[in-house]
Amino acid sequence: MNEPLIRVEDLHVWFDLKGGVELHAVRGVSFALERGERFGLVGESGCGKTTTILALMGLLPPNASVAGAVYLDGENILEHGEETVSPHRWKDIAMIFQGAMNAFNPVKTVGKQIVEPMELHEVAEGKEAWKRAGELLETVGISANRTRRYPHEFSGGMRQRAAIAMSLACSPKVLLADEPTTALDVMVQAQILELLVGLSNDFGLSLVLVTHDLPVVAQVCEQAAVMYAGEIMESGTLDGLYHDPRHPYTRLLFAATPDLYGEGEVVSIPGAPPRLDREIPGCPFAPRCDRTFAPCPDVKPRYLVVGPDRHAACHLNDPALAKAS
Amino acid sequence: MRGANYVLKRLAFAVVTIFVAITLNFVLFRAVPGDAVQSLRCRQCTIQFKAALREELGLDQSKWTQYRVYLVNLAHGDLGQSLRFQDSVWSELLPSIKNTMAMLALGTLFSIVFGVIVGVISAWRRGTIADKVGLWSGLVFYSMPPQWLGLMIVLYVAGAVGLPTSGIKDPTLGILGDASTWTLFVDRIRHMILPAATVGLVLYGEYALIVRSAMLETLGEDYALTARAKGLSNWATVWRHGLRNALLPIVTLVALSLGFIIGGFITVEYVFSYPGIGLQIVEAIDQRDFPILQGAFLLLALSVILLNLLADLLYFKLDPRITE
Amino acid sequence: MSSAFTAAEAPEVTAEARPGFLRTAILGERQAIVGIVVIVAFILIGVIGPFVTGDPKAKVGPVFQPPSGSHLLGLDGGGADMVKLLVNGARVSLLVGFAAAFVSILIGGVVGVLAGFFGGKTDIALMRLTDYFLVIPDVPLMIVAAALFGRSLRNIILIIGIIYWTTTARLLRAQVKSIRERIYVRRARAMGAGNSRLIFRHILPQVAPLVVANTVLLVATAIFAETFITFLGLGDPSAISWGRLIENAFTDDAILNNAWWAIVPPGVCVAIVVLAATMTGAAIEEALNPRLAVGHLSVRRFRMRALPSIGRVEPPATLPPSTGAAGATSGKGTKR
Repeated sequence: MNEPLIRVEDLHVWFDLKGGVELHAVRGVSFALERGERFGLVGESGCGKTTTILALMGLLPPNASVAGAVYLDGENILEHGEETVSPHRWKDIAMIFQGAMNAFNPVKTVGKQIVEPMELHEVAEGKEAWKRAGELLETVGISANRTRRYPHEFSGGMRQRAAIAMSLACSPKVLLADEPTTALDVMVQAQILELLVGLSNDFGLSLVLVTHDLPVVAQVCEQAAVMYAGEIMESGTLDGLYHDPRHPYTRLLFAATPDLYGEGEVVSIPGAPPRLDREIPGCPFAPRCDRTFAPCPDVKPRYLVVGPDRHAACHLNDPALAKAS
Repeated sequence: MRGANYVLKRLAFAVVTIFVAITLNFVLFRAVPGDAVQSLRCRQCTIQFKAALREELGLDQSKWTQYRVYLVNLAHGDLGQSLRFQDSVWSELLPSIKNTMAMLALGTLFSIVFGVIVGVISAWRRGTIADKVGLWSGLVFYSMPPQWLGLMIVLYVAGAVGLPTSGIKDPTLGILGDASTWTLFVDRIRHMILPAATVGLVLYGEYALIVRSAMLETLGEDYALTARAKGLSNWATVWRHGLRNALLPIVTLVALSLGFIIGGFITVEYVFSYPGIGLQIVEAIDQRDFPILQGAFLLLALSVILLNLLADLLYFKLDPRITE
Repeated sequence: MSSAFTAAEAPEVTAEARPGFLRTAILGERQAIVGIVVIVAFILIGVIGPFVTGDPKAKVGPVFQPPSGSHLLGLDGGGADMVKLLVNGARVSLLVGFAAAFVSILIGGVVGVLAGFFGGKTDIALMRLTDYFLVIPDVPLMIVAAALFGRSLRNIILIIGIIYWTTTARLLRAQVKSIRERIYVRRARAMGAGNSRLIFRHILPQVAPLVVANTVLLVATAIFAETFITFLGLGDPSAISWGRLIENAFTDDAILNNAWWAIVPPGVCVAIVVLAATMTGAAIEEALNPRLAVGHLSVRRFRMRALPSIGRVEPPATLPPSTGAAGATSGKGTKR
């Protein structure tokens, strides 16, 4: 079987906070991304999904510590931390951020900022680089002569598209998108999502889309993982997650979203996510779960295979325990 | 031309402010109970002399007339006559201005260089010892009255480094034969160092804090994170995206601090008896030589206004978002 | 597209998670407390001290006598006890500081609130005025004004107060403008509340914290400014402030007499109070408008560490297909 493009294995991230507190933000996350695949990472605000993808590029602050492995084409890029991860930035893995309005430095031209990584990674330089920058802008639907313009001369949607163009400057294999459409209006959102799907199809670009917005994921991704309190609850195809959820959280999540597939009432999940500054011995969702039973608060559910390319971390899937439920 | 409007607006603003300063100057000095001549102290200041002087200076005429005369004179570059010396205010002040500018240039250079270095490192290595040292050194020097710092330097440093603490030249030079230009030059510099260092240290405190806070702001922006994501090294990110953008708030804040520089140095010159415009102001106050005081204040106000205009234009050049 | 998760706001899983962290971003809460303690201590010294010390200017020994058991900081150029002088200096300096700051806040406050509240022509006119005054250099103006009108404590307070109103004005104008647009103010206005009621009941309380921060910083500026004025001999001849003590040391040639005890202490006192006030003011401002702690950006590296002992492991075995356990009640909506 082919090695997946990216394989994240047991990733942990901690943050040292003032007062000696340690926040365990990402708690053993594992997933895989195939070439050309569009993968969604969904969950509530604060579940650790952004931190996870930042860790893939090593873009964590100095009070962060990381454990686990991230295999890019078989090579563990987190092996020696910053040293091994930095060579891959932008060349293999690129990112667009939430509110890419601010991803651009306001005092430099857009073209300059697209050219910057090209020259840095020796992909192109000078005139050639600028020409390429113009071409990239055309790819995302912006006319090439806008390379000479400043970011404030672009509208919000255009800026996000330009950010996407910038992310493609060194022809990366993977694009990480963190809430790329939040804060954009609906029409523009649709355009951006279409663009992402198109790029993925046309150029074989793999995509990891992080969002709390389920309809967005449904529109773009084939596979997805659901995160809660720093752990992955379930992963699999969008269809599978929606029609045959193997984790109560997944089910409640999709049920809470109106209009995912056109109908339904909003059901909110009572309670709040657990604190992350302490160990959680059992399932993190147990306190809010409607199907919780004996082992849930005390025994951590194993991340079980529940189908082809399907995993779920829930005791309900464990035949040994299910009898008791 | 981009923002021709903006440039014109700032120019107009500067002109109006100059006018306000001139008027304020005039009003202040004429608002004193009694008039300038009345409180003048000098050897030949008999009552008749004062009356004649009063008439000569036009102080016996209405305020409006005086105002008009004042403006007309200014337009011709005439700042009036010193009451003590039979000399125009301008010719009295000119040499002092040169001395002060030289000293301030030295001090400001020192403060900018060290302020920027410390500020950048402090922000870069935020939370570490380097940051704490930078922050606290800035705060401490910023809190010291410049004249007191000057006194401390005279007390503890001058002797140790063997630098002169008063005047601008060694009186013994040139007595026993001609001193070379180089010797004279070095002598000047040696006399400038301590006062410049005093001004420089207080300014350093302020600048280190300003640069640090501006850098913290820019380094926390998304575009700095994007720069890192693109593979730029720490240094490149700090320089190209952090510092470059921090220049904007830095220029603004430095411009606001100009009033402080153009004021603190007065007391420093007094401490070191350094013959600059500051010392002249002190002497003029002591001797009630109001025209000198008035002229000096006008010059200082003018320089601050012009420097602010410069800062506005610089800001305009640095920030492409300004177009109106 | 709204988020489906309305149940509760999850704390951000980043370094900003803990509530106190923001405030300790630049200057710690601890520093603010230290600052306040220091200022209060000096205030107490200034208020109570002079009653204890009696007339500080009394000659109690030879000129510039070094520190000794009975006079911990020696005697100054007039033979007076330095400690007593400093204690009295605290009273005068702090008095000038707070009084001048009060005058500044008053003027600046009125201008700022009026400009922010009424907007339009009033705003433009007032702000123009402020801008002009902002550019005229404060210290020279202060010195000239003091030279012309100084020599009395009251005048000095007024001069300093008048010169520094501009920052308060701008600050308050910005705040008042933003508050004016808030819903509850609009509602109150719609219900017929008059202008003064709106200002006093709704807007002023909101701006109060910012005014406090600004006041503290102004006190520091005023104390600092007073030292300039007195150093040039323009102070009130009968008032002993720290600035005056520095001037005395200078004019009495303390340096020639190597009398560090006459020179160092007053400056140290000024520096400490200014430092404390700056720290406190900055910390309060920080708490009100917290700058985001640098959450994501790193210009320094993260660390790698070993895996915790309990990992998440995928067992090789597969399981029977859905037992419907987790998904029993799902199936909302129809397929796309």
